[in-house]
Amino acid sequence: MDVHTKWMQEAMKMAEEALEAGEVPVGCVFIRDDHIIAKARNRTNQLRNATRHAELEAIDTILSDKELTPQMTTYPLNSTTLYVTVEPCIMCASALRQMGIKEVYYGCGNERFGGCGSVLGVNQGLPHPAHPPYKATGGYCREEAIMILRRFYVTENTNAPNPRSKANRVLKTEIAPVFTTEG
Amino acid sequence: MALALGLGKSTHTTANWSPDPPVTSTDSITYTTVRDVQPGEELCIFYGHNLWFKPSDKMEKQVEESVEDGWGGLSHISASEEEGQPYRNPFSDGSRDEVVPEEDLPFTRFKLPPEEETPDLIRTVDSWVVDVPDARHINTLIKWLKQAQLETPDVAHLKRIRKNLQTGETTLLLCLSPQNDPTGPPALPDSLGLPPCYKTTVPASSALTLPSLALKSALWPTMYTPKRKDEVEAWTRGKAAWAWDAMSTTVQTAREGTLLKNELPIAAHIPAPYDGPPLTVSFAAHDTRSTTSHPLRHAAINVIRKLADYHASNDSTRSVQLDTGSAPSSLLDPAAAREDNGSNYLLTGQTIFLTHEPCIMCSMALLHSRVKEVFYLYPSPSTGGCGSLTCLPTLKGVNHRFSICTWSDFSSLRLDETPNHGDAHTFGLRLDGEIDA
Repeated sequence: MDVHTKWMQEAMKMAEEALEAGEVPVGCVFIRDDHIIAKARNRTNQLRNATRHAELEAIDTILSDKELTPQMTTYPLNSTTLYVTVEPCIMCASALRQMGIKEVYYGCGNERFGGCGSVLGVNQGLPHPAHPPYKATGGYCREEAIMILRRFYVTENTNAPNPRSKANRVLKTEIAPVFTTEG
Repeated sequence: MALALGLGKSTHTTANWSPDPPVTSTDSITYTTVRDVQPGEELCIFYGHNLWFKPSDKMEKQVEESVEDGWGGLSHISASEEEGQPYRNPFSDGSRDEVVPEEDLPFTRFKLPPEEETPDLIRTVDSWVVDVPDARHINTLIKWLKQAQLETPDVAHLKRIRKNLQTGETTLLLCLSPQNDPTGPPALPDSLGLPPCYKTTVPASSALTLPSLALKSALWPTMYTPKRKDEVEAWTRGKAAWAWDAMSTTVQTAREGTLLKNELPIAAHIPAPYDGPPLTVSFAAHDTRSTTSHPLRHAAINVIRKLADYHASNDSTRSVQLDTGSAPSSLLDPAAAREDNGSNYLLTGQTIFLTHEPCIMCSMALLHSRVKEVFYLYPSPSTGGCGSLTCLPTLKGVNHRFSICTWSDFSSLRLDETPNHGDAHTFGLRLDGEIDA
C-alpha cells in the first residue's frame, strides 16, 4: 500500500466515525514528519454549526496544542500535509491556504462546494496577493469515499432545511469514472 | 429599576481608562426616559456615538482634566452637533412605514451578473425523468409523485411534464439528481409498465426574462417569474433605520476591537431581524486573530460561532427537560419541530453586517449557514468572496444564493479616512489589501 493510501485509510476511519455519529461522513488527518498530528471529522450537526467541517476542527486542535504550535508563524501548516476523504469545500480550501498548508490529498471531488477545482480553484487557480498556492490531488480511496457518502445520503439527512424522504431511494453501487482530475 | 451595567457602569468607572478610576461624588446615577416605559420593555442607554474609550497611555492627560467635572466623567464627550457633523441615524425620524426611494437608501444592491440570457450562462442541474408512453397514466403518476414525497421545493421552478409536440411523447420529471447526491433514481410504481428512467439536464432556477425563458424551456419547460420577490423588496424608513443602527453597531464593534485589543478593525454583526419576533438576540464579534494567535478567527467566523454556541446551549436546556420527562412544546408541536430542522443552517432568513467584504473562507461560511443578505462597508478588491475576487453565491453549482449590499453612506457613520484632529472615534477602517477580512 502506498503512503497516500495508508493515510487516506486513516481519514476514512474518521469518516466512519462521523457516519456513526449521524454526521455527513467526511474525515481527515494532518500529517507532519510522517506522523498523524491531528485527526478530525465533521461535527456540523453536533455543534449546530454548518461551518464546523473536519478540516477546521483539526486546525483548531493543532493551533491549541503548544507542542504542535509552539509559536505562531505566518504559515503554521507549511510543513503539514492534509488527507481528507472529500475535496475540501471552498471555505476549507481558503482556510488551508491562509494557514499555508503544504499539500492536500483527497478522495472524491465535490461538485457543489469543492474548493480545489470542482467549483472554484481556491488552492491555486484563484490568485491571492499573499498566500502561496498549494497542490491538491484527488482520487485516493475515491470509491470508498463516495460509498460512505451514499450510505449517509440514502438515509434522510434530517438536519437539512427541507429533508427529502429517501424511503424509495436505492443505494447505487456503480461509480462513474473520474472526468476531471485535480484542481 | 435600571442598573448601571455595561457602558453605564464603565462610563462611571473606566471611561477615563485610568488604573485608578476617578471617584464620583454621588452614589447614584439618575436616568430619565423620554417616553413612558411599558412593563417588560428593555431599556437602552444612549451616550451619543461620540463616546469612545482611548487606550490608557493616550488618556492620562484627559483623566486629569475630567476627574472633578461633576458629570461622572462624561463632560469630555462633545455633542455631535457642536462639531457640525451629523452623527445620528438619518432614518430615525419620519414615518417608519414610508418607503425610501432606492437612491436614498444608505447602500447599493450588488448587481448580480447578467441574467441567464445566453446558453452558456444557464445554470443547470441533472434530474431523473421518465417517458410516459400512455398519456392516461399521467394523472396516476402525478398522484404518485405526491405520495412518494417528490413534490419538493427544489423542482418548483420547473413544469412537471414535457410534451414533445413533434413526437407526441410525454416525459415526467421525477426529481433532481445533483452530481454529488449519490442516490439513484426513485423506484417507479411497477403496475404501469413504464420504461426505465433516465437523466436529463434541466435549468437550476426559474426564468426572470423572456429570452432566458426561451433558452431554459428548450432544456425543460420552466416557470416564468419576472418579478422575483427579493428584487422588488421596498425598504421603509423603519427598516433603513434598522440597517443603519446595525451598521453603526458593526463599526463600533470593530473600533472596540482595534482600540482596546489591537485587533484588525474588522467586525461582523447579526442583528435581530427587522420583521422578526421581539426579544430575538443579536450577536456581534470583531476579529480576534491577534489575541487568540489563530489566523482563522475572523469576525464572520466568530459571530457565527457565537450564534451556534447560543443555539447549542438552548438545545442542552431542552434535552434536560426531556430527561425529566416533561416534553418541550417543540417536540409536540409539528410546526415547531419543523423549525428545528435545519437549525444548524444558522443564518436562514438573517442579515449579516460586516465592516469589510468577507474573504473566501468567510463568504463560504456564510453560504454554508444559509445567510439571506450580506451588507458590507469596504470591498476587499483582491481577497473578497462577495463580489470582488469572486462572488460565491453566483458560482455554478453552489446550493444557496444570498443577496449582497454594499454600504454607500459613509459620512453619517463618520468614517473619515484620516483621523479627524486626532479624534480616535471617527477614523476609517481601511485594511491592507493583502488581508483576508
